[in-house]
Amino acid sequence: MSGVQLKNIRKSFGALEIIKGIDLEIAPGEFTVFVGPSGCGKSTLLRMIAGLEDVTSGALTIGGRDVTDREPSERGIAMVFQSYALYPHMTVAENIGFGLSLARRPKAEIDAKVNAAADALQLTHLLDRKPKALSGGQRQRVAIGRAIVRNPQVFLFDEPLSNLDASLRAQMRLEIADLHARLKTTMIYVTHDQVEAMTMADKIVVLNGGKIEQVGSPMALYDRPATPFVAGFIGSPRMNLYQGAFAERAGCRTYGIRPEHITLSETDGRWPGTVRHIERLGADALVYLDVEEAGPMVARSEGHAPVAIGQRLWASPIAGHEHRFEI
Amino acid sequence: MPRLHKDKMRTDIMARIAQTISRSDSKATAETPDITERTAAGGETTRRRRPSPYPHWFLLPAAIIYTVLFLVPTATSFWYSMTRWDLKTATFIGFENFHQFFSEPFLVQGLVNTLIYAALTSAMKTVCGLGLAVLLTSDIVARGLLRAIVFFPVLVSTIGVGIAFTVMMHPTRGVFNVALASVGVAGPGWLTDPALALFSVALVDLWKGVGLATLIFIAGLSAISPDYYEAARIDGATRLQQFRRITLPLVRPATVTVVTLSLIGGLRSFDLIWAMTRGGPGFASDVIASVIYKQYQAGFYGLSTAGNVILFLLISVIILPLTVWFQRREVEQ
Amino acid sequence: MTRTRRATTGIIALALAGIIFVIPFVFIGLQAGKSRTEAAMLAFSLPKAWLFWDNFVAVVTARDYQLLLAFFNSSLITVLSVAALVVLSAMVGYVMQRRPSAVTGLAQIFLLVGLMMPPAVVPTIGLLQSIGLFKTMTGMILIQIAYNLSFSTMLYRAFIATIPRDLDEAARIDGAKPRQIFFRVILPLLKPVTVTNIVVQSIAIFNDFTGPLYYLPGRDNVTVQLTLYNFQSAYATQYNLLFMNILLVTIPPLIVFIFFNRQIVAGMTAGAVKG
Repeated sequence: MSGVQLKNIRKSFGALEIIKGIDLEIAPGEFTVFVGPSGCGKSTLLRMIAGLEDVTSGALTIGGRDVTDREPSERGIAMVFQSYALYPHMTVAENIGFGLSLARRPKAEIDAKVNAAADALQLTHLLDRKPKALSGGQRQRVAIGRAIVRNPQVFLFDEPLSNLDASLRAQMRLEIADLHARLKTTMIYVTHDQVEAMTMADKIVVLNGGKIEQVGSPMALYDRPATPFVAGFIGSPRMNLYQGAFAERAGCRTYGIRPEHITLSETDGRWPGTVRHIERLGADALVYLDVEEAGPMVARSEGHAPVAIGQRLWASPIAGHEHRFEI
Repeated sequence: MPRLHKDKMRTDIMARIAQTISRSDSKATAETPDITERTAAGGETTRRRRPSPYPHWFLLPAAIIYTVLFLVPTATSFWYSMTRWDLKTATFIGFENFHQFFSEPFLVQGLVNTLIYAALTSAMKTVCGLGLAVLLTSDIVARGLLRAIVFFPVLVSTIGVGIAFTVMMHPTRGVFNVALASVGVAGPGWLTDPALALFSVALVDLWKGVGLATLIFIAGLSAISPDYYEAARIDGATRLQQFRRITLPLVRPATVTVVTLSLIGGLRSFDLIWAMTRGGPGFASDVIASVIYKQYQAGFYGLSTAGNVILFLLISVIILPLTVWFQRREVEQ
Repeated sequence: MTRTRRATTGIIALALAGIIFVIPFVFIGLQAGKSRTEAAMLAFSLPKAWLFWDNFVAVVTARDYQLLLAFFNSSLITVLSVAALVVLSAMVGYVMQRRPSAVTGLAQIFLLVGLMMPPAVVPTIGLLQSIGLFKTMTGMILIQIAYNLSFSTMLYRAFIATIPRDLDEAARIDGAKPRQIFFRVILPLLKPVTVTNIVVQSIAIFNDFTGPLYYLPGRDNVTVQLTLYNFQSAYATQYNLLFMNILLVTIPPLIVFIFFNRQIVAGMTAGAVKG
């Protein structure tokens, strides 16, 4: 097991800087998720760790070894691609064993390792098939199998679930978490989906505009977002965020309150407003308010909450759950 | 609140622009600029450059053959065209070869014929190709067979076609004139009449080459969504209006290809003319390419090469502006 | 369109196409079956007696089996140059598509020149002479590679653009060297476009007349198209043999066309219609 260290990693394309100096320490065995909106540089960062992109400046170590200038195959990493990148002309067995055969390992050893990986991933009966004949979930498992036989120090996942439908995604999320529990290898996982980040990560790295916004455990980011960006990105439904006069009255530049931390009352409270729209989700209902002094505000209430459109309500923050940012 | 949103939007847009340029988050990494080279050239870093997984030496075997046998002769032709040359010694004589090309009547005729032949075959192939393509994409019986029949001559030996048509165009016994005589028309001397020979060859060129134009137009027509025609029909467009207002503009990329390809082919044309008339009668159907061969046979290597250079310049002068013009119209639309 | 109208248009079109596009081939076939005197009449008529086999034997044995030698030479030139073209242009197309750089940009310009411009023949002959390849099969094969490289490379480049780069990268991570990425991952995936390339280029090179006319004159290395051309002057009075020769030259492309129609169409229209 080895950790990964990034020291002031930068990446530019011509004059344009995409990664603007990243310092990050990933502990051995940790499941780290890079999350951020599209274009934040998370995939580029992962590809730099993989060695698929050159590092413009900075240093990268894996397991204490400086690998900044190493070829991808010399870094002790394995990667699962968003498209799976299975070789279409090879069978499942050949796909999984390709790296070993390139390294000219003896055939018996290749077979043994391929079979072991196939066994662990329930792929044994598919070993002679071509990728075209597999379902999405099976392809995903072959891609993971190909990564496992490399026996890597670090697993890299580049949005591996985004091509799957919702129910399969939930299942694969579980399988990957399970894999991590069994192998206890360091894993770095890129996603734009904050639900994947929250449910799988030991540590979340929120990236924005080529810089780290915040690093921490999922609940730490939820409870104590360091910036309005993190506050808005982590948590669903999104946190209500306000600037201007309303925030100034609250004593800060940006004021935030999550929908689940607002109580509604028909008689009194902090902010009077009118109900504009209600979304009943079953257990919960999302109440969209026009608050007089703030503007639109979303509050979470219980599913059968007796509110109606046009009704006048008072919203109040739950003490200790208000967020004040000086940016 | 609005301000925050605007800020977020701005960062989003910036990020998206950055991404479009880097293309690293998307899967379209194909166009990623060559970073390693840029940074190394810029000297921003002392980092050792990792070799690209796409090494330039892959180009080397092809590049050697191509350079030695195509690029070098093309480049040196500009020098040899200004010499008197016997393949051993070349004596510089300036523009004399070119002067000859533009003053000797039979050479000038070759030049003019080349332009006529190229324009004519290109125009005929474009018009007939589009017509055939419209017919062969419409809903008729035996469509596949018809396409095959129209296309097959493209694949046949030009010399074979040339010889066969020469025989069929025989002034007295040829199939053409016998058929015309049977309906009481005295057929012309297709290849023996100096005023007609070039056009007869062009006609055979059309017969042999229209299949390719048709094929390209068929591909272009098939790419037009039937939705447009349905919408036009609902708007009350007649068939002719549909053709002029929908088919013609939308099939433009194919038209550009056909015109360009057939113009280049027409300007370089040699095989068919040589097989049918040898440039005759007299010099009536000579083109630059046949002049190049004749002068080569006669041992006037410098003059022959001057013909090559003229053909090179002619193609550049015609095709390059045409391409630019086509592209500009493309942008305007 | 109603059914009857659809049928009549089709039948009229078929009849016209038959007259215009098929009759010349029928004429070639008829002439090839006639006697020498009958063929000299040049008439579009059935032979009085079918002398197909006699004419065939006469053409094949003529000039000490020159036609067989020609078929052998043409096939050799075609097979070797197409084999080389496939490997070399796939490599070039691959690097050009994957790695935009000054070098590949220059290559792109040079290949476009090759696609448009006529080769400078006499300087090429001079050059071939100086390196001892004029009038040799080796020289002819190399010339065919050079002259057809542009088209093959464009075909490959367009196709490689559809192969996801993820595959190259997965192979890199698996420890493949650049050579291995290309030969073990990319090249096997190019099969469809390689078939197209082989078919289209084979026909082009087999039918090439100008190349052998300039660079391969003389009896020993005669090619099919040259025999045809030589027969035209030598057998001006033996039309039956001339047309038998044309017929024999037409058969290889016909066979290829029947089996590879789809690939030929793909190759001929590739890149022609950009959206």
